[in-house]
Amino acid sequence: MTNIEGDLAEIQSQLLDIVAQEGMIDRESVKLDAVLAELDIQSADYVMILMAIEEKWGVYLPVDEELTEAETVGDLVSLVTQKIVQHRAGIATA
Amino acid sequence: MKRVVITGVGAISACGIGADVLWGAARDGRTGVRPASFPRHDKQVVKEAAPISDSDYEIATSSVNTRFQDRVSAVAQLAAGEAIHQAGLAETDFGDRCGVSIGAGFGGAKTMDDNFFQLLGEGGSRRIDPMCVPKIMTNAPASWIAMKWGIKGPSYCISTACSSATQAIGLGAMLVASGAVDRCITGGTEAFLVRSVFASWEAMHVMTNDKCRPFSRNRSGMVLGDGAAMFVFESLESAQARGAEIIAEFAGYGTTNDAGDLLRPDRYGAGRSMRLALDHAGIDPSEIGYVNAHGTGTIANDLNETLALRDVFEGHFDRLMISSTKPIHGHALGAGGALELLITLKALTEQVAPPTINFIEVDPKIDFEPVPNTAKPFNASAALSNSFAFGGINASIVLKLHNA
Repeated sequence: MTNIEGDLAEIQSQLLDIVAQEGMIDRESVKLDAVLAELDIQSADYVMILMAIEEKWGVYLPVDEELTEAETVGDLVSLVTQKIVQHRAGIATA
Repeated sequence: MKRVVITGVGAISACGIGADVLWGAARDGRTGVRPASFPRHDKQVVKEAAPISDSDYEIATSSVNTRFQDRVSAVAQLAAGEAIHQAGLAETDFGDRCGVSIGAGFGGAKTMDDNFFQLLGEGGSRRIDPMCVPKIMTNAPASWIAMKWGIKGPSYCISTACSSATQAIGLGAMLVASGAVDRCITGGTEAFLVRSVFASWEAMHVMTNDKCRPFSRNRSGMVLGDGAAMFVFESLESAQARGAEIIAEFAGYGTTNDAGDLLRPDRYGAGRSMRLALDHAGIDPSEIGYVNAHGTGTIANDLNETLALRDVFEGHFDRLMISSTKPIHGHALGAGGALELLITLKALTEQVAPPTINFIEVDPKIDFEPVPNTAKPFNASAALSNSFAFGGINASIVLKLHNA
């Protein structure tokens, strides 16, 4: 249990790094309650973020799925974390 | 300005060879989308596409010298040949008074992919085909069409991503309308379903790994397709002088740039494009019976296009038949607008709106139902087709029945 929680915390931290790096914004401003639109993340930045996620965790996320519902960094993080967990479960059962 | 009429059409797509084959597939909801895998692509994540079949590529390339031509030029000539045959053009109808205007996005993608692999890939020969440049260049299809039929007037290649064909066709019509030429071979061609290009589109994260469902709830992106569609445009006088059968009339063209975001569309740019085409045609929005939407199946396009269509058609919006046929032939980028204009033309002349297949239910966020899953009849004298591209480039064309 602790392992999974620790793992999720690690994923979350790495995701925040990716958003900051690929969105070319200050890491300090990437907080869970930060509104994505206010961080000045452009459409092209989302693509870079998704590519980095795919490279790191092997999960393919189209720009168009539930991702468009994400309003805050926290929304983005919980969605992507959920997809990574699903992806891992899929691999485990395959 | 001269009136511009259409006297011939031709096509090749994932649905097969021939304009009627494409139209039949679109009308009856038979998709060319199927599982697709790419040689040497060991990290493929998106599993479906709408490529032209290997056997149809063989037919297209059997009548050209493949030493000098990529298959993107071969399929362009196959479609142009069908259109020219239908129009009944004679050798003397080409020459100085005929033009070519062709849309193409990626050019000779297979040549590029194969040669870059030879140069850079593990186990590659490190040798490059000396004909690499003339096979890859985006204007090659326009030039091969000109050479094959002896077309010596102006020739253009428009490469504006998803708007390439619609802009090329609009330009072709303007060449005829202005009197610069008597006729023009115009359309779009794309044969880009190869590993490197497909991987590039995967990296954009705009393709679905489900089904392409334009305007539907639970849509999650686009599906790519290869294809080519060509038209013979003529001035009304030239067509009448030849005694040619007129299929329909080219009525209006509009094109705009969002000058905003490179990738995210803008409803006002799209709306201005449609209004310009309607104004150019001199017809009221209420006269349009069918719209072939750009309808990629992405959240961004479909929401944006619906807003733009509501802005332009206002009270007529709810009576309008609108569909996206991209789930049938795939998003064929530089050829997309040509395949879709051909379907728009057939829809208009047969008064049947083809369906948006894979439609599940109305998305409450856009509150709009396109013609879902089954074709519907309509009664109107004009139809419109849209193309909106990365780069903020919008283009719209209006067709009308001849003598309507």
